[in-house]
Amino acid sequence: MANLKVTSVTKQFGETPVLKGITLDIADGEFVSLVGPSGCGKSTLLRIIAGLEAPTGGTVAIGDMDVTGMQAADRNLSMVFQSYALYPHLSVAENIAVPLRMREVTGLQRLPVIGGLMPGARGQKQSIATSVARAADRLEIGGLLNRKPGQLSGGQRQRVALGRALVRDPAAFLLDEPLSNLDAKLRVQTRAEIAELHRALNATFIYVTHDQVEAMTMSDRIAVMMGGEILQCAAPEIIYEDPDDIRVAEFIGSPKINILPLERYGSDLSLFGRSLDWHVTQDSPQVMQLGLRPEALHLTQSAPRLRGRVAHFENLGSEVFAQIALEDDAMRVTLRATPAERQMLGLGAEVGLAFDTRSAMAFDADGKRLRKIEAMAGVTSEVA
Amino acid sequence: MAVSDAVAALPAKPENRQARTAWGLTAPALALMVSILLVPVIVAGILSFTNYSLGNPGFDWIGTQNYERLFTRSTYEKMFIATFTYVVTVVPISVGLGLGAALLVHSLGRIGDIYKTIYFLPVMATLLAMAIAWEFMLHPTIGMVNRTLAMACGTWFEVIPFFANGCAEGFPLWLGDRDYAIWVVCFIGIWQGFGFNMVLYLAGLTSVHRELYHAAEMDGAKSGWEKFWLVTWPALGPTTVFVVTISCIRAFQVFDTIEAFWPQGGGPNKSAYVMMFAIFEKGVQQNLIGIGSAITMLFLVFVMFLTLIQRWLVERKVHYG
Ligand SMILES: Nc1ncnc2c1ncn2[C@@H]1O[C@H](COP(=O)(O)OP(=O)(O)O)[C@@H](O)[C@H]1O
Ligand SMILES: [Mg+2]
Repeated sequence: MANLKVTSVTKQFGETPVLKGITLDIADGEFVSLVGPSGCGKSTLLRIIAGLEAPTGGTVAIGDMDVTGMQAADRNLSMVFQSYALYPHLSVAENIAVPLRMREVTGLQRLPVIGGLMPGARGQKQSIATSVARAADRLEIGGLLNRKPGQLSGGQRQRVALGRALVRDPAAFLLDEPLSNLDAKLRVQTRAEIAELHRALNATFIYVTHDQVEAMTMSDRIAVMMGGEILQCAAPEIIYEDPDDIRVAEFIGSPKINILPLERYGSDLSLFGRSLDWHVTQDSPQVMQLGLRPEALHLTQSAPRLRGRVAHFENLGSEVFAQIALEDDAMRVTLRATPAERQMLGLGAEVGLAFDTRSAMAFDADGKRLRKIEAMAGVTSEVA
Repeated sequence: MAVSDAVAALPAKPENRQARTAWGLTAPALALMVSILLVPVIVAGILSFTNYSLGNPGFDWIGTQNYERLFTRSTYEKMFIATFTYVVTVVPISVGLGLGAALLVHSLGRIGDIYKTIYFLPVMATLLAMAIAWEFMLHPTIGMVNRTLAMACGTWFEVIPFFANGCAEGFPLWLGDRDYAIWVVCFIGIWQGFGFNMVLYLAGLTSVHRELYHAAEMDGAKSGWEKFWLVTWPALGPTTVFVVTISCIRAFQVFDTIEAFWPQGGGPNKSAYVMMFAIFEKGVQQNLIGIGSAITMLFLVFVMFLTLIQRWLVERKVHYG
């Protein structure tokens, strides 16, 4: 177990830059998720950390030792692949034993007949079998040890791949979308099990996923990647409640955050031409964007800040999501309501919406967060 | 009454009717298969117990005499020796070279296509035409091979006994030398066959999952050798079984080289008298259909045996399904 440090890593495939200067510090025992849309370079970054791919620039250090030029086999990392990458000709037990056999047994001892005659071979075989059994017990696949990967279900294969990763004691675990080939129910269950495994092993985990729910539920910290850059790396609550960038705000959270155009007339901010009574200094940008989570909006009768018609709604039992068409269908916002408010949300019903200023987020036209503006607006609205 | 009952009962048994239709539809194909593939084998099997010659009005049953001859006469002993020498030499080397070439070509990317074409050229060329080219090259006095070897005379190459001998007493006659003849045939067989094996292995290599190599690296496989044994070789198991079987059958069938080099007799002192040539010589040239059929039956037994081994290996050992 060790900490892990990635410094200014860049990667180009031919002319195409895939990673544009990634810096990431991972503490010993931390669970960090790399999350982002497909093709943003998550796997590439993970493979550079693993040593399967050489970076174009920058360094990778494991446990304060620079390993940038080191072969993957020497880095002492374990990896779980998206396709599981189990050896099809080996049984489950043999698959799990491979990392031990390759590392602890010499080439001569691995030979079929002669190997058994080498000194120490018997004891080694015993200790490998014990380790394999322990890993299998931990993942509850003890009954499958003699089967071939071809005879297993997707979920079982995934467990074998995990078993192969944790049979030894690596510096860190790297997982590349390990759940994306499982069905929804199994995914939820395995998610919890991996998180538990992390707590039990107290090991460093780097977990790649494109699923924000996985990232939110499992991680100590989330690194949101987009277009070959890390936009923000922070605890899940901060990523959700206090994003630095509109792309982070849009990627994390389901349903998606509502983005509305915010305009400044003099020192006054307004939404769809109606003043919000928020006052800012004259040097603020002319055009901004306002981000409102679905739960930041609520229905109101008196002095609504937004007016619209219910265009669609989804009842999930414990909560209701309604899409409200604003300004003659020019824009739609999603609202999270309680089941009690359901009868107010009949299709086509006219509703008024309000929101709490403190939960609103302002971004500039390029999507950068404007915390200064929020601070000014929040102060004035409390006075008003 | 009974007839109408039977007719009425028919629709109640749809499986019967279906089975009958199925057999009806299969019949033409089945008849073709039997008459084209099985009947000739059966006829050859029957003829191998006779002394039949083409054109004769009749024949006598001579029991297992043909087979007894096969296992007692020295000509046929030479036939077995030549055939097995050829198979045992050509199969492992052409499979090994095919695999090696495939691994190299596979790692090359685009330039690999050029090598692929070059290595495959001998497969596409007719062996008969190629044999004539080889005959020229191997000519004892004016051939390219011996002239090239002679260039080594007078240099330090003479330390090697082969060159010392060759320079003093002349280089081998190759095709005319009973110690070399079969090896020349083997060499040409390898030269001609490994490109085919390479293409089969290249097809097999494309199905090896790339992530397996990465997994092997993470699991501690440092050298290409370790990765080969952990990933490539097992993944090529089904291909290898197929390639070996095909190579064996092709090796058993070797004929055209020998026919081109020695149309009259299968090499100096019958040292390259392989089975196919024996069948041709006995059954066609000398019109001894009986003995020709007996060799054919033996040949079929070998090939059948190989095929059964292949089936067993494929089902038991190399299918990871
Ligand atoms: N070996 C490669 N050669 C060329 N381009 C590659 C290679 N590997 C990945 N890429 C490109 O790099 C980008 C990022 O890939 P990847 O890291 O796999 O994305 P992610 O895992 O986030 O979905 C993609 O646009 C992909 O096409
Ligand atoms: Mg990926």
